[in-house]
Amino acid sequence: MRSNFTWLSDFIMGHKKSFLAAAFLAILCIPLLPQNPFYQDLLIQVFFWATLASAWNLLGGFAGQISLGHAAFFGIGAYTSTILYLTFGLSPWIGMFAGAGLSVSVALIVGLPCFRLSSHFFALATLAFAEVLRLLASYWRGLTNGGVGLLIPHQVAFKNFVFEGKLAYSYVILAMLLGIFFVSYFLKNSRLGYSLVALREDQNAAESLGVNTNRTKMISLVISVFFTSLVGTFYAQYYAFIDPDIVFTSQISIQLALLSIIGGVGTILGPIIGATFLIPLDVFLRGWLGGVFSGMNFVIYGFVLICAVRYFPYGIFGWLKMRSDKFLTKSALVFSSPGAGVPVPDANEPCRQSTRCEKPLMMVNSISKRFGGLHAVEDLSFSIHEGEILGLIGPNGAGKTTVFNLISGFITPHSGSIHFEGRDITSLGHAHRFCKQGIGRTFQIVKPFQSMTVLENIMVGGFNRVRDVEKAREEALGIVERIHLSHHAMTQSSHLTLANRKRLELGRALATRPRLLLLDEVMAGLNPKETEDIIAVIRSLPKEGITILMIEHVMKAVMALSDRVMVISSGIKIVEGLPEHITKDKRVIDAYLGEAYNATAV
Amino acid sequence: MLEIILQLVINGLLLGGIYALLSIGLTMIFGVLEIINFAHGEFLMISMYVTFFIFQALGIDPYITLVIIIPSFFLLGVLVEQVIIKPILNDPPLNQIFTTIGLGLIFQNLALLFFKADFRTVKTSYSSANIFLGELIVSIPRLIAFLLAVTIIAGLFVFLRKTFTGKAIRALAQQRRAAMLMGINVDKTYSIAFGIGIACVGAAGAILMPLFFVFPTVGSLFVLIAFVVVVLGGYNSLGGTLVAGLVIGVIEGFSGFFISPHLKEVIYFIMFIFILIFRPTGLFGRR
Amino acid sequence: MLQLCDVSSHYGDLEALRSVTLGVGANQIASIVGSNGAGKTTLVNTISGVLTCSSGTISFLGKPLEKAPPHKIVEEGLVQVPEGRLLFPYMSVLENLELGAFSNRSRNALNRSLDEVFGYFPKLRDRRKQLAGTLSGGEQQMVAIGRGLMARPKLLMLDEPSLGLSPLIVSEVFETIRRIHMEGISVLLIEQNILQCLLISDKAYVLENGSVVLQGTGQELLANPRVKEAYLGL
Repeated sequence: MRSNFTWLSDFIMGHKKSFLAAAFLAILCIPLLPQNPFYQDLLIQVFFWATLASAWNLLGGFAGQISLGHAAFFGIGAYTSTILYLTFGLSPWIGMFAGAGLSVSVALIVGLPCFRLSSHFFALATLAFAEVLRLLASYWRGLTNGGVGLLIPHQVAFKNFVFEGKLAYSYVILAMLLGIFFVSYFLKNSRLGYSLVALREDQNAAESLGVNTNRTKMISLVISVFFTSLVGTFYAQYYAFIDPDIVFTSQISIQLALLSIIGGVGTILGPIIGATFLIPLDVFLRGWLGGVFSGMNFVIYGFVLICAVRYFPYGIFGWLKMRSDKFLTKSALVFSSPGAGVPVPDANEPCRQSTRCEKPLMMVNSISKRFGGLHAVEDLSFSIHEGEILGLIGPNGAGKTTVFNLISGFITPHSGSIHFEGRDITSLGHAHRFCKQGIGRTFQIVKPFQSMTVLENIMVGGFNRVRDVEKAREEALGIVERIHLSHHAMTQSSHLTLANRKRLELGRALATRPRLLLLDEVMAGLNPKETEDIIAVIRSLPKEGITILMIEHVMKAVMALSDRVMVISSGIKIVEGLPEHITKDKRVIDAYLGEAYNATAV
Repeated sequence: MLEIILQLVINGLLLGGIYALLSIGLTMIFGVLEIINFAHGEFLMISMYVTFFIFQALGIDPYITLVIIIPSFFLLGVLVEQVIIKPILNDPPLNQIFTTIGLGLIFQNLALLFFKADFRTVKTSYSSANIFLGELIVSIPRLIAFLLAVTIIAGLFVFLRKTFTGKAIRALAQQRRAAMLMGINVDKTYSIAFGIGIACVGAAGAILMPLFFVFPTVGSLFVLIAFVVVVLGGYNSLGGTLVAGLVIGVIEGFSGFFISPHLKEVIYFIMFIFILIFRPTGLFGRR
Repeated sequence: MLQLCDVSSHYGDLEALRSVTLGVGANQIASIVGSNGAGKTTLVNTISGVLTCSSGTISFLGKPLEKAPPHKIVEEGLVQVPEGRLLFPYMSVLENLELGAFSNRSRNALNRSLDEVFGYFPKLRDRRKQLAGTLSGGEQQMVAIGRGLMARPKLLMLDEPSLGLSPLIVSEVFETIRRIHMEGISVLLIEQNILQCLLISDKAYVLENGSVVLQGTGQELLANPRVKEAYLGL
């Protein structure tokens, strides 16, 4: 369905490079536009807040770690460069980076342990941290001159980072804005960017796909804090005066978050749009409402904030995007690369040709897990052989999902050991390490990354083995065809039907190139046709060298697919063997249907 | 030396009682609704201003104003919960955090607008009165404040243990789905819990007024104390909050004396971050 | 007494219940059996109002309840003993039981109900000050059922009461259920352990993938080989 604007978007796409160059030049000319100091200052403020908001957004919007204490790093930047300049005459240009370095170090020391905290408490910790710095700065008069503040003398010189007039400042802050913009842009489209969105959407799913969530958070923390600190130095140089209540105040922390939220959290343009709209509005309102209402702007901010998170969670950018999506269309079909099958697992595949092999891929020895008084899994031992499909069944509450969580790294056993490909992986720790070893899994309640397309979801899995974005996309295209989702490759995963989401979950796990794939109730909720379809896909996997352990309740599927079946009840293995024998085994029937059932049944 | 220490302990405990009352509201709200009320300090500020103006206009002693404050702040809490909090209870943390932050912003800046940054205080006939226990001085306003705070907390404990509504609140905090199946009106119970939380902080404000002074940002000062207390005590244990309040009061006294009055806040903020990192369940918390 | 007509309901995205029609008559024990994932718990939570039903009607004693909030449904006398017991772990046995009588209707009869419950479970009287979280599985199940009885139910729904219990305790549980029924309370039993369940049921339904696939009296279904098929996928 072509519409009026597709010709425009096609035209732009065709001449992409020239348009970008022209746009870049146009942006560089913006600081030249305002003629009088008032508007020059306004422009500087817009750039300034846009940069701060973008930096916050990298941590809060992209990585999902909400900080209420970014003023801490703003202040560290401002004070470090200023103190070094005033005390040692060190050029603020260098001091700026010293400040950034200090900010980053502090952020890592304090921030890293705090990542463990839940969102509310992380925000609280950052709030407290900024407050501590404010109080310390007030108190430590010897270093910071306390509440009196520090004044930067107006000695115009490039190396002093002091300029005549506002134009030069304008360019400096524009450079910083462009800096964070490009960094964000390249980040978003890189492997790290995918990890960030995955992490924000669903941390567990991300870990299961091999995303090192802690390292990802750390990287976005470092970049976010780095830029925030740089802007702090800029502030000191531009306004030439700082004191603890100005630079460490929570009002800065809140404002820069607010701009991102209103503009569109988690998007690159969002914070910039937020700043562009709100800062001039704020300045004009203050001027218009006069001295009596000088405090009013924050009251309005408060209202806006409450309404924004409730009614416009996607911000101005999100709203604009929704309107423009109606005009622009995306093509539904994607051309897949020819001959692409499921990428084969690398290294050590001696049993690829035969589907049955006696060497155990995984050996679980006497693992136990207790939750409080409940023995979820008790002294459980089993092995999985390469190339087989092992079914795991058992009544409700038997501990099947706990077993999965134990062998995929989400929880650690109290006792016992787990060996995979001969290596002891019992105390590996984080789930993403298990994925790197070659253990992939799906979840009982499917967790697609809602804001990503089907293809992008699968790419996140692909990044487990592949670093290059293009390669990951290629492989993902292959998988998408394998799981019969080619028609939906560019569809946002939140719009998929349940059956398709299950397919996506499977495809995403396949993209990590697992040697062992754990399937958790894949068939639940599917109609017979959909079930048949997925059974066919799963059946073809061992030939590619993928061993399967599946939890299932749909007995027909278990019988159709499994080479062997293991039955668990109340955390203990009752029996294991061939499917036909299991269903006739008295112990199994007792566990499911109640003892002595056979005695009364026909 | 011993007298100094004992004096510090007494002063600390007396103050700690008020800290406990202030923080208990936060604990209630987090324990039941599972959100952190970032606007908690602003409710304290409002209560202090109300107490001040009632004293100024009608000459009523703050401790008597308590009788009005408690029910009216309860209603305020219920109102805020129904209008502002309820819609975002199932939303992602970002929305919840910034909703209460927005609320705090509104209150704080409205106060700044109307009351300017002046410090105001209440001076009653007994503001400087003391009683003497041997060598030790006990300030009467502080003593009364402490007794009132402890009485209110005790009343809260009794309410939660002995009444049906109180038990419903505890049940809801422990096992939400089962509470629903008991016939507990979850919606109403959330409102009541929030209302009680705000009533507690309102009471703390009235009690605090004669001992301190009010200015628009006083909330920020005390809310961080409240957060430390809640985190130290275990954020879902009311008894823990009480003990933690007393502990923080004493620590503040000691560090104020032995290190510096300006740094006392820094000391317990650092404690706060340490606890959050190393023992997030606090001293008495469970989970 | 309880009648479901064409009830469908969703659990997240899953259509967990598809057009379920079933009923429980006065003074009956009815049961719903089916393997894992069949939708049994979704069904009972839909009846209790914890989950909303997207279509169909649920009526209890003639009153339509499909849109009612959970606390109203309890008020009407339709009470659930949830799967996994879900006791309030940091409250005593007595407090748990008292909370069972939260609804207005049952609050007046609290002491009488308490005596009755201790009549069913004399062991609990000794343990009434003990924290519920420290009890054994069997004792917890007794408290859970007692809590349900405190609400003075007209129809008591029990979701997998035998879950995680040893065979001896399971027999006790079912014996208790029979006694409750004899006192005039109708029972809706959800179970995986179908032998004991079908033995005491007047009426039974087999649920598979969210739909009712078989129904009949308890005896009829016990003798029906298709039941075993439905469970073991043969």
